[in-house]
Amino acid sequence: MTLNHSATENTLVSTSSQPIRVSNKWAAHALTFLMVFGPGLIVMEADNDAGAVSTYVQAGAQYGMHLLWLLLLLLPICYFVQEMVVRLGIATGQGHAAMIYRRFGAWWGRFSLADLLLLNFLTLVTEFAAIALVLGKLDVDPRFGVPVAAVALTALVLTGSYRRWERIVVFLCLLDLSWFAIAFRVHPGARAFLQHTIVPSLPANGLTGGWLFLVIAIVGTTIAPWQLFFQQSCVADKRLRFSDLRWARLDTFIGAVFTIMVAGCMMLAGNAAFQRGWDFSDPAQMAVQLGGVFGPFLKNAILLLMINAAVLGTTTISLSSAWAYGEVRGWPHSLQKPLREAPGFYAIYALCVMAAAGLVLIPRAPLQLIILSVQVLAGLMLPSAIIFLQLLLNDKEVLGERFANKCWNNIVNWTIVIVLFVLSVLLAAQVAVPRLFPNS
Amino acid sequence: MTLTNELNESTQEERVLFTIVHPLDDVQEQKVDTEHLGPMQMTRTVRICLFALRGYLLLMFGLLGFRVLQLAGVIRA
Repeated sequence: MTLNHSATENTLVSTSSQPIRVSNKWAAHALTFLMVFGPGLIVMEADNDAGAVSTYVQAGAQYGMHLLWLLLLLLPICYFVQEMVVRLGIATGQGHAAMIYRRFGAWWGRFSLADLLLLNFLTLVTEFAAIALVLGKLDVDPRFGVPVAAVALTALVLTGSYRRWERIVVFLCLLDLSWFAIAFRVHPGARAFLQHTIVPSLPANGLTGGWLFLVIAIVGTTIAPWQLFFQQSCVADKRLRFSDLRWARLDTFIGAVFTIMVAGCMMLAGNAAFQRGWDFSDPAQMAVQLGGVFGPFLKNAILLLMINAAVLGTTTISLSSAWAYGEVRGWPHSLQKPLREAPGFYAIYALCVMAAAGLVLIPRAPLQLIILSVQVLAGLMLPSAIIFLQLLLNDKEVLGERFANKCWNNIVNWTIVIVLFVLSVLLAAQVAVPRLFPNS
Repeated sequence: MTLTNELNESTQEERVLFTIVHPLDDVQEQKVDTEHLGPMQMTRTVRICLFALRGYLLLMFGLLGFRVLQLAGVIRA
């Protein structure tokens, strides 16, 4: 639906090849929403990637349901941060990397890009490491499965159709509904679940360094720097119009709610291990143990959902790198363009995917070192990325009064920036200097 | 097709119709020309804060690099 509000607010000419006509206003609204729907859900749900599954399950396994309230607290933070990106993307039609480069100069532009590319690549390695781990549990040789996954993930974007990519990825996001069935199957007590979700509580042994570290890790997992770059580029690539803003906001809100609920289900799966006093080193091992109690279906479901999480993370993170690089270099960068029209964009995507997959297959690759670097780099990058976002959202020269932050936006967002900055510094310091905080 | 009204109402066949067009099929909107705006106008305070942020990030990257090399066994603790 053309609800454009540019200079020619009420009169526009459409060149639509196949417009849909309906006579009911509500049907028109619903169809418009469905057409705009996608980037918000994808960016949020893809953030529940392999690393996030590991963090949430570990939180459940170590502290039961005692950290559910944190997820509820993170819901508005997720939404407000990403809503800013949506506004910026719709108002400018440009990606985040391009905006930083143009408005803050070459140093910050190159620094942000280099930081994003490095962090994204290391995160991709962890996604493929998770795929290799799970394939091992499913008796599939990773030397066969990982390259197949890398090729399939590259083929996913090579169709020259944004819509095809979006539909497939939205379908993969909706597969995560299965986490609700898993949470229901492991029988969490409804009363305890509600109580821990609404009322903040501390674990039995009180505040410890380990607990604080996990809280910070959950915050860092739920809000990641690549999400800012991804959603703004995605909104620009989908060419969302000024009038689509309210539907894009709704899409982002639904995505945030869905993601937080799925994350809660992952914690409940971990809680099942906590209640039985099991100890495990990774979620795949926990899935095998849970399978012994609840049957092979549950085990296979968790393992397949872990692969799904890694696949979602890989395609979105690689795209955020390819979009950002293309924007800064001035290359054609759109999923709507065929390979021959945007070779550099697709080459960056393929390079990210193939190199990360290849690194995982190297025997004795320093995966622990990579995971540690991901945590610290994310912790370092997130506050600075959000500070730039906040400055851009107050840039009335670009956004005008309509899209720029209002006073209440600034109060909310600066509060979020300060909280994230403090947590990120603590996380970076804890990982870089492990003996900084006592563990108990 | 000329669209008037907020919901693209057209009065074909003597009833209100709402025309819905996918963003990718629609006319591309004229957005703000960010290419020719140049760098953002910033106050002295913002400039100082960004300079401090640059120093902090470089320091932390140095610390991280040192720690990674230490863990990799390249530098001895």
